[in-house]
Amino acid sequence: MIKVNPKIKVYRFNHEMEFPHYDTFEVEPHPGMTVLGALFQIQEKYDDSLAFRYSCRGAVCGTCAMLINKVPRLACRSQVEDLLKDKVPETVTDEDISRADEDISWNPEEEVLVEPLPHLPVIRDLVVDMDLFFQYYRLVEPTFRPAGPDPEKERLMDPGAVKELGVYANCILCGACHAACPVVGENPEYLGPAALAKLYRFYIDPREEEGDSRLEKGDILNGWWACESYGDCYRVCPRNVPPIVAIRQAINQLNKRK
Amino acid sequence: MIHHHDVIIIGGGLTGLRAALQIKDAGLDGAVISKVHPLRSHSVAAQGGMNASLGNVEGEGGVKDSWKNHAYDTVKGSDYLADQDAVELMCREAPRTVIELEHMGTVWSRLENGKIAQRPFGGAGFPRTCYAADRTGHNALHTLYENMVGREIPVYEEFYLTSLVIDEGRCVGCTALDIMTGEVHGFQARAVLLATGGFGRIYDRSTNALINTGEGASLALEAGAQLKDMEFVQFHPTTLYGTNILITEGARGEGGILLNKDGKRFMEGYAPRTRDLAARDVISRAMGQEIAEGRAYPGGYLYLDLRHLGPDKIRERLPGIRQIAMDFAGVDPIEEKIPVQPGQHYSMGGVDVGMGGATSIPGLYAAGECACISVHGANRLGGNSLLETVVFGRLVADKIIEDVSSINFTEEGPIKTAMINMDIKIGDILGREEGENLFQIREAMTRTMSQGFGILREKQEMQESLQEIKKLQKQLPRVSLQNSKRELNQALVRFLELEGMLLLSEAVARSAIAREESRGSHFRTDYPERDDVKFLKHTLIDLKDDEMRVSYKPVKLGMFELEERVY
Repeated sequence: MIKVNPKIKVYRFNHEMEFPHYDTFEVEPHPGMTVLGALFQIQEKYDDSLAFRYSCRGAVCGTCAMLINKVPRLACRSQVEDLLKDKVPETVTDEDISRADEDISWNPEEEVLVEPLPHLPVIRDLVVDMDLFFQYYRLVEPTFRPAGPDPEKERLMDPGAVKELGVYANCILCGACHAACPVVGENPEYLGPAALAKLYRFYIDPREEEGDSRLEKGDILNGWWACESYGDCYRVCPRNVPPIVAIRQAINQLNKRK
Repeated sequence: MIHHHDVIIIGGGLTGLRAALQIKDAGLDGAVISKVHPLRSHSVAAQGGMNASLGNVEGEGGVKDSWKNHAYDTVKGSDYLADQDAVELMCREAPRTVIELEHMGTVWSRLENGKIAQRPFGGAGFPRTCYAADRTGHNALHTLYENMVGREIPVYEEFYLTSLVIDEGRCVGCTALDIMTGEVHGFQARAVLLATGGFGRIYDRSTNALINTGEGASLALEAGAQLKDMEFVQFHPTTLYGTNILITEGARGEGGILLNKDGKRFMEGYAPRTRDLAARDVISRAMGQEIAEGRAYPGGYLYLDLRHLGPDKIRERLPGIRQIAMDFAGVDPIEEKIPVQPGQHYSMGGVDVGMGGATSIPGLYAAGECACISVHGANRLGGNSLLETVVFGRLVADKIIEDVSSINFTEEGPIKTAMINMDIKIGDILGREEGENLFQIREAMTRTMSQGFGILREKQEMQESLQEIKKLQKQLPRVSLQNSKRELNQALVRFLELEGMLLLSEAVARSAIAREESRGSHFRTDYPERDDVKFLKHTLIDLKDDEMRVSYKPVKLGMFELEERVY
């Protein structure tokens, strides 16, 4: 159990402000309290203007990804107690992921630092503009293209193929990988791990027509080739989707054919 | 700003998206309004599956499933309150609906022979539930959204429905709040489809997403439509103790069993034949009794044991459940039992619609959980809600396509007036300087509803709870918010949600008090028997001059004779 009441240090910004700042709130803990639960407590008890997105609160809808103790994660799945216990927070490659211009310090023994997802513009507080993220998603044309006309019944599929496909179909498009990827940070035009993993999901779907059109869709400078194999995408994914594996496989296929 | 579309679809879950695809394919201009990005809709959380008599897996003794078997199980599960014509339609359409999703790209789990896999579910006589591991809703919703993207169908994301616009008795559009800017937009349409989902968040222990606040149903009631069978609220037996996140019925379909404090498989005493796979209301009631009689753990939970299934089966068939149990209860089901308790799960009641999804207001349609076409009656079977969303998303869209051919756009006047009125209302809410606390009222509401209208109900307690709800309604005009800004004001959205939820709470309360019998999910300790003579009928609620009135209409029988419901 937590002995002192934990504090949540939250990034605050709205368009009327010139610079963002941080507010610290002391929350009343209960067993299993998540960061999302703590944010609701702040909104309901102290400041109803605090803005953050939410929906399922069960780690399946992908709405509440944010930067928590410098790591992109789902607020609903991150327990405050665990974050305090992790005296040294787990790190990703880009240790300077931050929303502030200068280094922000926090006391990990009693505080949890909550910031909006990096690599996307902030609208207000913890709410970011996901437009660019979904623009790249649309760019890979994520619509099933079956090989032939629809049969009367279902197309047959090998359970093994379903298993592999399932790994990528599990993506909830929360944006955690996009926010963690150092390449996205350097090059905003990079399609990013989520869009490429989606593209790969269609590439390996055995029901689609054979051919390289899916592979070629990502065969651009800001597609497969831009990945620098940091692997942070996989490390932060709440659903264990490995975009890095998808991208490496795609590159192997392209290299074989060239 | 006023937007014009042939059809406005409110809600971006499975029903809304399926309807939008159908409308686009018919060459009409449809648009979706959703309070969240469509992929964040509650449909995404559906776990276990979708029922269809594909017959890919044989039943006991090599018998093949049929739509008639499916319909029988559904009607029996409904405690004979479902309309049998609607059930027939849904069950006949089920196989083609599962296959249609497959054709659109959904990744279903497969049998060794490559066909879509099916598993047993509660209250079903056959292994009929098609599934995608325990992420069926996720797979189906992503597929439909991917097809929306392919067809470039417009979506107004993060727009909150604020009113339905009625002109000369016809629904001609709606107003909605652009949450990001705080601006009220008008939408003019030849038809409006409500696909806004359930209202589980009127209860404090619910599996529903936090966004399931039922505004489609409450605004329809305010606009003059009727609500039907609102007293029938499903409590799911297995929600995770603490957070009430759903643990799919599929876990019991795969062989999981429920145990009380003494380690006893208590369902053997309540449903000797089907035990842990009896219908949901039967199991939730049994759990309620175990808890009431002191055979549960302190705090009111029992155990769901999956350990005997073995690590491989748990990892392959129930990976999401394992993840949920580990993330939210710190329990690995491979090694430990999962602490569970019943929790609100589904709203059988909703906007009263006929077979084509039309409400009593011309131009206004409803489908999916927000509607009551009545395929679920007094108790829904697991695996039938995903089915309903996709079947009726398509069929109601077909009805709209047919109906709007003779309807033209009218003047913008009524839309403009509605926008101005909504703008004034929002200005007033934001302008209040001091007053009652929004969140305290909401907490009092959810507590009251669980107390008075939970698994076991009784007249005195229900009446006291209704009085409490009326009291809370009267506090609403005095609520003030700290945040008076228009842009991205979530307190404002939550105030508007609460207004609607208090109305729906009253509808549930009045319907439940008036029904002096026990049927399906509605169990009265003071009237413990089903009373077909007096209550084999649907409850209707309408609202006139701020007064709710209860009336009834007959159930459509026909295919199956009334029977006592034994599992």
